[in-house]
This record gives sequence, structure tokens and C-alpha cells, in this order.
Amino acid sequence: MEEDEFFGEETFQHYCAEFIKHSQKIGDGWEWRTSKDCSDGYMCKTQFQIKNGTAVSHRGTSAHVQTCLPMEEALEPPLDDFEVMQTTTATEVIKYEYHVLYSCSYQVPVLYFRASFLDGSPLALKDIWEGVHECYKTRLLHGPWDTITQQEHPILGQPFFVLHPCKTNEFMTPVLKNSQKINRNVNYITSWLSMVGPAVGLNLPLSYARAAFQDEGNVDRQGSSIEPKSLEEL
Amino acid sequence: MAEEPESSLQLPTSIAAEGEGPTEISPETATPEPPSSAAVSPGTEEPAGDTKKKIDILLKAVGDTPIMKTKKWAVERTRTIQGLIDFIKKFLKLVASEQLFIYVNQSFAPSPDQEVGTLYECFGSDGKLVLHYCKSQAWG
Repeated sequence: MEEDEFFGEETFQHYCAEFIKHSQKIGDGWEWRTSKDCSDGYMCKTQFQIKNGTAVSHRGTSAHVQTCLPMEEALEPPLDDFEVMQTTTATEVIKYEYHVLYSCSYQVPVLYFRASFLDGSPLALKDIWEGVHECYKTRLLHGPWDTITQQEHPILGQPFFVLHPCKTNEFMTPVLKNSQKINRNVNYITSWLSMVGPAVGLNLPLSYARAAFQDEGNVDRQGSSIEPKSLEEL
Repeated sequence: MAEEPESSLQLPTSIAAEGEGPTEISPETATPEPPSSAAVSPGTEEPAGDTKKKIDILLKAVGDTPIMKTKKWAVERTRTIQGLIDFIKKFLKLVASEQLFIYVNQSFAPSPDQEVGTLYECFGSDGKLVLHYCKSQAWG
């Protein structure tokens, strides 16, 4: 199957399928969704995060927030779930949606994401940047417009933030070549997502690291030989 | 994990001739200003107690990333990946615009808050944790 010399859509879907298999095993919540005409699809996951910050609930029932407790303390007292939700819902809980799509032009996977408060109001790009992990902040804010942008989701047609993929090949190639040297089949999606995800709040459980090799029998050999052909096209 | 501290810890000591590294990080070595804590030190003279506070990490470069002269380090279990990344970046004198990734199993990047002690439990063998590192311009 020489057409898999580059990272094609089929390879992408294969790796996603393997990734999701493991996700299901550990209850990590990833799903595959197809577009209406089923020609392509993407992987997605929703997760909720509590934002550290001002803990005062402006809109929550003040009876439950007698003092301005930090978020952690607010959750500790034996409040029943409903009361806790009242305290946290209004300001602190953020819903993140992560979508992994395939980019035909770059021939790499791309991470789309969006975030909103529980009342549906979306986070602005500024909030997203502020939420970027310390580890990546310096570099990402170095040239923010080159890194996180807002684009229309190719399948859903809604605005999402995107981690720009133009360097993906560049940072994936050494990793893949290194693994090829020792004849290891690597799940490209697992590897890639482990690298880019944490920058925007998406952390993969460690078990994915081992799962990438357990499917050795199933992984298409050519699929792992991802030559950076698309570099020539850039 | 198997405790074979003695043989693995002596490795960097033999590099002592270069005057680099085997002792606690100090200004006279080739490193830039030492990290704020000595949580990462070249693997040497660690008391081999029952509960080793530090674990041995072997760092391997990927691609054209500079190779560290001292590859073997004793690191506190609670040191995070981010802490290790910062340390290696300083050691290699990388600029802020360069990203450094660390991998287990040569291909999986643990999240920055992951503690190396946990990684050692999951991926360590022969008394050490092998981590690959790679610098890149990941963004843009």
C-alpha cells in the first residue's frame, strides 16, 4: 500500500480507530463522528474543567456562599451535589470540546477545540491563551497569531479554535523516525495528541503510551512509515 | 523496581575528569545558572535506602537535538515533566521560542504535570527511566 507513504486520510482514520479503542477501554470519552455524507469524520471528546480563579459566585445562590471560599474549599464541605453546582456552575466550570480532524492541505491531524461556560457563553481567545499551560505559554504567546487561531470547523461549520498544523510534520518526523529505527509501530495520533494536547488543557492518561504498541499486530506497517512528503508541498 | 543503585550511579562519576556534572550542580560546571532546587542532580552518591527519594533517569536525544554531556541524572520523584523540561532547556541553552518535548517509550509525551516518579513506576526498567527528548518549533 504505497499510497500510505504519506499520512493519508485512511491512515488517519485507522490511527483514530486504534486510539478510540483504547479510550473505550479506559473510559476516556473519545468518540468518532462522521460527517453527514460519511465521507470523512473526526474524533471528539468533551471534558469539563474547573478554572482556578476568582471563586466568588456572582450568580450563584449567595446563601450557599457565605464567605468567598476558594474553589477547592467550596467543594469540601458536605454540601449536597445541588448546592455544589450552584456554587460552581455560574463562573468556574468550563466545558471543553476537542476535535481531531484530518487536514488535507497539510496532510496531518489538526486539533480543533472550543470552550464555553456552562451557560453557553464562549471563552474568548484571550481566555484560551491565558489557560495555556505554563510549559508552552512562552512559546505560544511569542507568536500567538501563528499558533492558536479561530477557524470554521470543516465539518460542523462552527467557529473553533485551532492549533495551527504547519509545524506538525516538523516535530513529528524525528519522533517517528526514531521509533522506526527500533522497528516500533507508533500510533501517530496518540503521539501527536500527547504533544499538542497539554498546551490546551487536554492531557492523555499514561496508559495510551503503552497501548500504542500493543496493537502492533493490527497496525498497518506502511502506516507508521510516515515520510514527510508534505514538506515538499509546503 | 529492582534496586541496583550502585552500578548505575557510578556512571557519571567517571565523567568527573571533565569537571562536569557528577557533583551537585554548581556554577563552575558547564551548566548555566543552576535550577532553583537540586531536585535534579547527576546520578551519584545517592544513599541506597529503602525508599529512594530520587530515581535514575537516562536522557536520550532525538533528531538533531543537542546531546547532553551528562545523560544520567538522579531526579526527585516529585519533579514534574515541566520541571525536567525547564532544566534540560537551561542545560542546553535553548531559547524561549524553542519547545522541548520529553517522551516515554520514545513516542509518548507525558503531560507537563506528570511526576517522574509515576513515570518510573510505569515505564522504568533496570532501575532507571529512559526518557527521550527532542527540541522543535512545534508551534506556528
